[in-house]
Parts: sequence; C-alpha cells; structure tokens
Amino acid sequence: MPFQQSSTRARQRTVLLVGIVLLLAALVLAVVLASLLTHGKHEDSPKMLKWKDRGTTKNLQEVILGRCYNYITERYPELGDKDCLKIWESLKDAFIYKNPCNITAEDYQPLMDLASHHIPCNKSLFWSKTNDLVHRYTKSNQNFLTLEDTLLGYMADKISWCGDPSAPGINYESCPKRSECESNPSSVFWKMASKMFAEAACGVVQVMLNGSIEAGAFRSSSIFGSIEVFNLNPDKVSEVHIWLMHDIGGPQSESCSGHSIQRLKNILEERNFKIICEDNYRPVQLLQCVHNPDHTDCRLCTNSTAVP
Amino acid sequence: MMMSLFLPLLLVSVLFMNSFSEVRGRKWKGEGTTQNLESIAIGRCYDYIRIVNPAVGEKNCSEIWEAFKSAFINKDPCSILPEDYELFINLSLHTIPANKSLFWENNQLLVNSFADRGRRYMSVGDTLFGFFGDFLNWCGQANSSGLDYESCPTTMECETNAVDSFWRMASITYAKHSSGEIHVLLNGSAVGGAYPQPSFFADYEIPNLQKDKISQVVIWVVDDIEGPDLDSCGIHSVKTLETRLKTLGYNVTCTDNYKSVVFLLCLDYPDNSKCALPSSAPAGQRGPISSDRGGSWNKLMFVSFVGFLFRFALV
Repeated sequence: MPFQQSSTRARQRTVLLVGIVLLLAALVLAVVLASLLTHGKHEDSPKMLKWKDRGTTKNLQEVILGRCYNYITERYPELGDKDCLKIWESLKDAFIYKNPCNITAEDYQPLMDLASHHIPCNKSLFWSKTNDLVHRYTKSNQNFLTLEDTLLGYMADKISWCGDPSAPGINYESCPKRSECESNPSSVFWKMASKMFAEAACGVVQVMLNGSIEAGAFRSSSIFGSIEVFNLNPDKVSEVHIWLMHDIGGPQSESCSGHSIQRLKNILEERNFKIICEDNYRPVQLLQCVHNPDHTDCRLCTNSTAVP
Repeated sequence: MMMSLFLPLLLVSVLFMNSFSEVRGRKWKGEGTTQNLESIAIGRCYDYIRIVNPAVGEKNCSEIWEAFKSAFINKDPCSILPEDYELFINLSLHTIPANKSLFWENNQLLVNSFADRGRRYMSVGDTLFGFFGDFLNWCGQANSSGLDYESCPTTMECETNAVDSFWRMASITYAKHSSGEIHVLLNGSAVGGAYPQPSFFADYEIPNLQKDKISQVVIWVVDDIEGPDLDSCGIHSVKTLETRLKTLGYNVTCTDNYKSVVFLLCLDYPDNSKCALPSSAPAGQRGPISSDRGGSWNKLMFVSFVGFLFRFALV
C-alpha cells in the first residue's frame, strides 16, 4: 500500500510539473505573438498621442519645399530672395517634438517673419464660406489675391501637420481637431497668417461671402469675422467691397440688405471704413455659370431666343 | 599688297570674334534650366500623390526624378528622343478616368482654368507626368552630370531637345491612355487656324488615340472674347480636323463657342456684350427675376426683361 501511494504521488507531481511548464510555455508564446503583432502598429512610438483629425501629410518636407520654390520661381519671381530651406526649418521648429495642444503664436513668429511678403494695394480678397468659388476665381483672374495665393497660404493649403513629444517628433497618424484643443498647430497657424494678411492689406479690399447659407453670410465666429475684420488697418485700407454671392439656382438666404451684412457694415463703419456691397458681383457670377451654363440665370443675352 | 590687306583683315576678324565671344557665354538661345528644378519636381510629385490626386496610389518620387534625369543628363542636349523618357513614363503612369480627357491647342491658361486641376477634366497638365514638368524648363550637357542653368536649345536650334521630347512623349502617352468621350478645345481666333499643323495634337496625339476605347470626339471651337472669328466648325482647319477624325472612324461632334468656356473667358470682359447675363441690371444688383422654376408669370417677366435689355442695348 505505501508503495502504491508514493508512486501515485510521484505521478501527480510529474503531471503538475508538466502542467506548469506547459502553462509557462503558452504564456511566453502569447507574449511573443502579441509583441510581434503590435510591433507594426506602434512602429513610431507606443507613447504617441492619439487625436481625431487626419495626421501630418506624408512627405511634408518635400511638399513644402517644392511649393516654396515653385511659388518664388514660377508665380512671384520678385520674391527671389526668400530662403525656402530656412522657411521649411522654421515651420518644422514651430511644432516638432511639441505637444500639439500647446502651440503658441511665438512658435510661428520666425516662420511668419521669413515667409511674409508685400501685398499690392487693392488686391486683397478675403472670403468666408466660399472656399471653392473664391479660389477658382483667383486662379482664373490674377487681379486678386486670397491668403492662399500668398507664399504662406500657398505652402500650407490643404496640408496638415502636428508634432508629438515622443520620437520622431511628428505625428503622421492623427492630429488634434479644433474641438479637442484650440491651440493646435493648424488653428494657430491659420489664425496668425490671417491676422498678418489683414494687417498687410491696403487700398480697396474685397470680401466674398455666401448668401445661400442659412446660418448667415457674415458670422462673428468665422476667421473673417473674428480676426480679419479687426486687423484691417484704417490708415491703409480705404474701402471694403462686399461681394455677396448666391449659388446659381440656390436659395437667396441673405442679400446686401440682410441682418448679418448690416452687422458687418456696423463693425466696419465704426472703424471708419467705407463699405460697398454688391449682390452677385458679375465676374464671379460668370464663373458660377461655367458650371451651370443652361440655367436661366446664365442665359447669355446674345444667345437668348427672340421675344415671342 | 596682300600683306597690307592682311593686317586690316586680321584686325576685323579679331573684332568680329570678340563680339561673338559676348554671345558665346551662352551656348544656346533659350532660357536655362529652371532654378531648384529638383526640389520643385520632387515636391510636385508628392503634392500630386498626396493632395491633388491621391487616387493614383503610392509612387516613388525620388525614383521618378532619377528616371526623368536619366533621359537627358550627360548627353548632347540636341540628341534627346521621346523614348528616352520611357522609364520616367512607366514609373509615373496612372489611369486617366474615362470621359475626362481634354486636348487643346493655343489656349493653355484657359484649359488650366477650365479643367480645374483635374476635377472637371484631366488635361495632360493634370496627370502626374504632365504636372511634373508643366511650365518648367531643363537641359543637360554632354560630358557633364550637371544641368545647364545658363541656356538651353530652342526648338529652332534643334527639335530633339529635352523639353520638346518630353512633351512629345507625354502627349503620346496621354493620347494612348485616353478613353470614352474625349474633348478638344481649340482657339477660333488663332492665326494659323484653330487646328494647327504641325502641332502636338495633330502629330502626336491623334495618331496615338486608341479607337476601340473612344466613344466620341467632342470638338469645341471658342473665339477670344475680343478676338476675330477666324475659324469655326465645318470650315477651314476645323473642317480638316473633322474630316481626318471621321476618316479614321471616330464619331465627331463640333460646337462653336461652347457656353461654359465662353463664361470663363468672360471673367476678363464682364461688360462685353457677349458676356451680358439676364440679370445684368445696373450696379450688378439682381433684377426683379428670381430663379425661374417654371410658372408662366415668371416666364412673362423674364421675356419682358430680356426685351427691355435688347432695347437698351440697341439705343
């Protein structure tokens, strides 16, 4: 009897040992597999912050440099003295390795100083809620310049960027939305660039607003309404021309006599600007007709049918 | 006597050579390579695949630049052939969406605006390979791996130069990969005809269209707003073009002064009578007519207003 008991105990001990070894092996295997699977996802750094908006544009450096050289070579050769490499470095330094919710105006000051340039008088064209139309207009008519037609705006248009405290210092996965934090690299950049663009304006300035949106053509919460309007210099700017555009065949939610336009007029008049408002400024309306050639509002008089 | 003539002759020829040497600093008559060409070209390549047209997918822009350079670097700048750009084209080629091709002659800026960076139409300048080189200039030199920034040969000096051969290759490729309904925008005010010959369109694009992939050729002949009406559908060079295409077996339509394009030209001439819109009331304010959604009352108002404008214009 005692012999049988000791052999059973030995067998039990063996089984237990084998079980533990197997369990340990399984654990090790699981850890190895897990690290292998997640290795690809966390290649940059497992500590990089996660945000809701799209990440930094890939090949940001090449795109920014190329655009800078393209601008000073092809579009405005008068700016031949600009150093595109220095401009890129100053942009990078503004956000790399920094928490993207802590960006300040001082971060961008070197870039603003290097890339800003003179804007000829009577050419500044501001806009709000007319992104597509206003840029199609300035592409076809070089008489006016929006912010996106200046060097700073041209380089940054449709691009995104943000940093992160961990290596490599740039977050290509995601960047903060404005709703997540206001002091993000993109918002701070555009606010500063808009302020400078307004400050640089002289003579007669133009603004293209959208009279077909329900929320009103002029909104105090827009960049135009909150920053640009208040940074126009009354000593340099004589008049503000408002072009209030309606979508072809679209609702006429507001016209030059509307409430929000009245509010805008009051703000500007208080700062001693002369204001002229025009519903559907003709050259821009002609551009809208390119896309709606058969609409009644776009019938060319020379082509119209004879009066019955 | 020969000796007494010899010295003055020598003097004259030395003076002649001196004046030549001023010109000799520039080897060729054309502008040199665009400054910062490499940065601009590589930047444009990435701009295109990341922002302008991400649908083309991943491309290796450094490789594309090297392939581009290999076409003309270290060669006699008058010996560059379209085939030299084959590797460049192979690396940068992508699908051109059906029905979006827009061919043109003598109206590059207009086409640029009208195509709207590939959103409305995709002209050759809106493809990756065309976008890469548009408005740029370049050439190399024999026995040197550098670009010539001082001067480059013009077409007159030699046809087989780096830039012209590039555009020949680009045109051939563009035509080969076009499909569906293709469009041709011609300038009805151009001296020499709306359909010029020789030209890229006549010599490199038409011969390379793939008949089995093309459903229709739509020709638009548009005059400059303040220009003469030298050419139109059915006459002169346009008739030649229509005949040529029909003989090749294509379905062809032709329209004079296609409205959409006229509107675009009108941007610079808003007060020209060709550009008057029904709503052209004084000070650009809307007249009494709102968007016409049918209804006989609105039609009556509209017709009366048009009649009023005609009378006003005739005064």
